[in-house]
Amino acid sequence: MNIGFWVLVVVLILLGLVALKRREDPGPVVKRLLEQAAKLVPRMFCALVAAGFVAELLPKEEIARFLGAEAGLFALPAAAAIGLLVPAGPVIAFAIAAVFAKAGASTPALVTFITAWSIFAAHRMLIFELPLLGPSFMRMRLLSVVIVPFLAGLLAIVIGLVTSFGTAIPYI
Amino acid sequence: MATITIMAITILTTNLIVTDAGGVMGFGFLKDPVWSRRTFVDAFGRGFLGFLAFALLMGVLTFFIKGPQVVHETLVGDVVLLGEMLPRVAVALSIAALVWVMLPRDRITKLVGVDSGFRGLVIATLAGTVTLGGPSSAYALLAMLAASGADRGALVAYITAWATLGLQRILVWDVPFLGPEFAILRFAVSIGLPIVAGLIARRLTFVPMVCDTQKDGAE
Repeated sequence: MNIGFWVLVVVLILLGLVALKRREDPGPVVKRLLEQAAKLVPRMFCALVAAGFVAELLPKEEIARFLGAEAGLFALPAAAAIGLLVPAGPVIAFAIAAVFAKAGASTPALVTFITAWSIFAAHRMLIFELPLLGPSFMRMRLLSVVIVPFLAGLLAIVIGLVTSFGTAIPYI
Repeated sequence: MATITIMAITILTTNLIVTDAGGVMGFGFLKDPVWSRRTFVDAFGRGFLGFLAFALLMGVLTFFIKGPQVVHETLVGDVVLLGEMLPRVAVALSIAALVWVMLPRDRITKLVGVDSGFRGLVIATLAGTVTLGGPSSAYALLAMLAASGADRGALVAYITAWATLGLQRILVWDVPFLGPEFAILRFAVSIGLPIVAGLIARRLTFVPMVCDTQKDGAE
């Protein structure tokens, strides 16, 4: 449990106190809570299990070869595609990124990978976005952000021309 | 242990509100069969079954490619992860539900609504950057913003900022796993991108329907 989580707990308690003070009707709150929990929790359970298996099945070392400096501009679409394929939370995604970095992936490729994962992570779209916001919102968002990982990678390439600042130091 | 404490706090807080307000004020929906049915379908309908099938398929693949030992280890890891996530989801959804009921929605519409212009995108980006917690809290807030009439550019900017610039993720994950220099570089190249995404979203020609507004409109 990290600090961020405990801050959320404190926020919840404060909000609860405000609601108490305002004599807010608890009915709609509980209704909304139950509706959203029904949409999320059962799917979350399945998606977590599936994601764990997919992360095991991904051939990480083989993939890292596509992300090296010699792959040039091709590394960006490759990294974006892999980011899309990692259906797991930050624990697994960043562990994979560290494996890539250690295997010689270039900094722009890593930036593209992390960015693509953070905005496309398949499990997150399936667990949260689809049930809470619906398919048409998801389509609209995907169309809007599809360019973002590439822009991030290209900017990293431009910065790389000027300075070597930003090279990843993987923890493993 | 921590998990149990959180559950207790969440249930206690909710109960406190419930009992204080005098019991059954707005709980008629619990006896409404249409509501129960809809909620059940939301929970265990086709979407859920699809997920279940996919999880089973991946499990079978892992079993044959990596062996039973890996399947076992993965499942144990999943259970631990689920135990960590459930209290987060409970807290995040409770916050979102409370905010949903208490927040003056017209004020949000003014801040990040259709007429909020470039300023709305900047506000949404800042909000996404400082939103604490994982996807459970960010998406719960996003759904609330969507139902409150935030414009889609602001919605896209918000969730993109949370994903790419989220300070919590950078501090907790980028820095320890890939080093502070990389974290700074990634943050720097991403600063303008949520606004770009928001501008693109505003240019797209079709209008998305959001689950929540539809349903609430029908009620």
